[in-house]
Amino acid sequence: MTTPAISEAPVHTRSTTSRLLGVAVLVGLVALVVLGFFGAPEDDEQADAVRLIFVHVPSALLTYAAFSVTAVGSVMWLWKRSVWWDLVAHGSAELGVIFCGLTLFTGSVWGRPTWNTYWDWGDVRLVTTLILFLLMIGYLAVRSMGGDESAIATRSAIVALIAAVNLPIVNRSVEWWFDRTLHQKSSLTDGNLEDLTLFTLLLGVVVWSIFYVWAMIHRFRVGWLERELRVGDLDLAIEQRRAEAHAAGDGGDQ
Amino acid sequence: MTDDLAPQQPRPARSPRRKILPAAIAISVLAAVVGLVWNLVGGSLFFYNANEAVERRAELGDERFTLQGSPVGCSITEGFQGDVPVVVFSVSFGGEAVDIVHFGDPADLFQPDVPVVLDGYWVQGDPGVVDRTPIADDGWYFASDRMRVKHDNDYINDDDYDERLAESEAAAEFASEACSA
Repeated sequence: MTTPAISEAPVHTRSTTSRLLGVAVLVGLVALVVLGFFGAPEDDEQADAVRLIFVHVPSALLTYAAFSVTAVGSVMWLWKRSVWWDLVAHGSAELGVIFCGLTLFTGSVWGRPTWNTYWDWGDVRLVTTLILFLLMIGYLAVRSMGGDESAIATRSAIVALIAAVNLPIVNRSVEWWFDRTLHQKSSLTDGNLEDLTLFTLLLGVVVWSIFYVWAMIHRFRVGWLERELRVGDLDLAIEQRRAEAHAAGDGGDQ
Repeated sequence: MTDDLAPQQPRPARSPRRKILPAAIAISVLAAVVGLVWNLVGGSLFFYNANEAVERRAELGDERFTLQGSPVGCSITEGFQGDVPVVVFSVSFGGEAVDIVHFGDPADLFQPDVPVVLDGYWVQGDPGVVDRTPIADDGWYFASDRMRVKHDNDYINDDDYDERLAESEAAAEFASEACSA
């Protein structure tokens, strides 16, 4: 494999597409903040606490999306040994952990004024989400272990697929265990929302999605460059050892 | 072959840390899976609706359990028993009412017709609270010390909200009938 010299390697991960996406995220965030705080009406029961929905629900949806992509990438690694998919799975897992953490945090903050509790260990939605979060932290821990890259990719893919079993359980828990959960049913599919509340919520989902794509592009490119660097270092080391072997051989002949 | 790599130094023994980490991760994953199954099979938040709690009163005895129902507006009275805040009210569900004595502050969103989830147990007798309007008035009350509000997924801003709710929800219909009786 030929690897470009360090001086020839890209020094950044940006492109026209990523710049446009980045600008779209910034513009979308400004619109989301304005609509979320000043445009959307307060709720009759929850008053201003309802505004957390504009962060909480998009974060939850992107958690599902990101970990689903990780699961697909893991299957493709195990099936095709595709490094491209392995890098996608890794990057998406990192973003998924961020979104999942944000979901848990905003849900807890939202729960205190509305449910009267930050957390309930008996609630199926809350606990299954926490388990998903911990499993994906475990996935990232496996990825950070040293050793053979192929073995690490395989081990982490297995962890990702174990975690993926939990995804539909988290999503459907409020339907399957409706009499065991404080958590309300889906706001988007079953909820009754004011028009501007719904619009702002959908805007949040769009902004979070664009952010995910933007961050994935950069994370993938960083991951690819890191890999190229590791492979380049290995090639360089092999060349050096061969040169040493040649030198030793020439010295022995004299 | 001169092109072969020169012999390498023996690989250093694996550090204890590198042995412990995979084991710790494997145990964590296993614990997470066990925790998931345990939670799904025996979710401790399982609650009885008011009508189910009344139906199973003999079976439940003085066992601690979780109860769900909608507070009946005209029954809500707040006060103190010594230094402890007490909220006395009734909840309804499925055409049955349960009288409640809640020890502690009510939840921020506690209000008529918004379902509450309460932890407590059945007590037979009179709670000894004056000025209460028991809807069930069957010689039993539910002594609660933890209250959570189970709000729905309606996010509405409506000046006529109370009127709309009263017209649309069976719980509110029950409340109006019970209060007028």
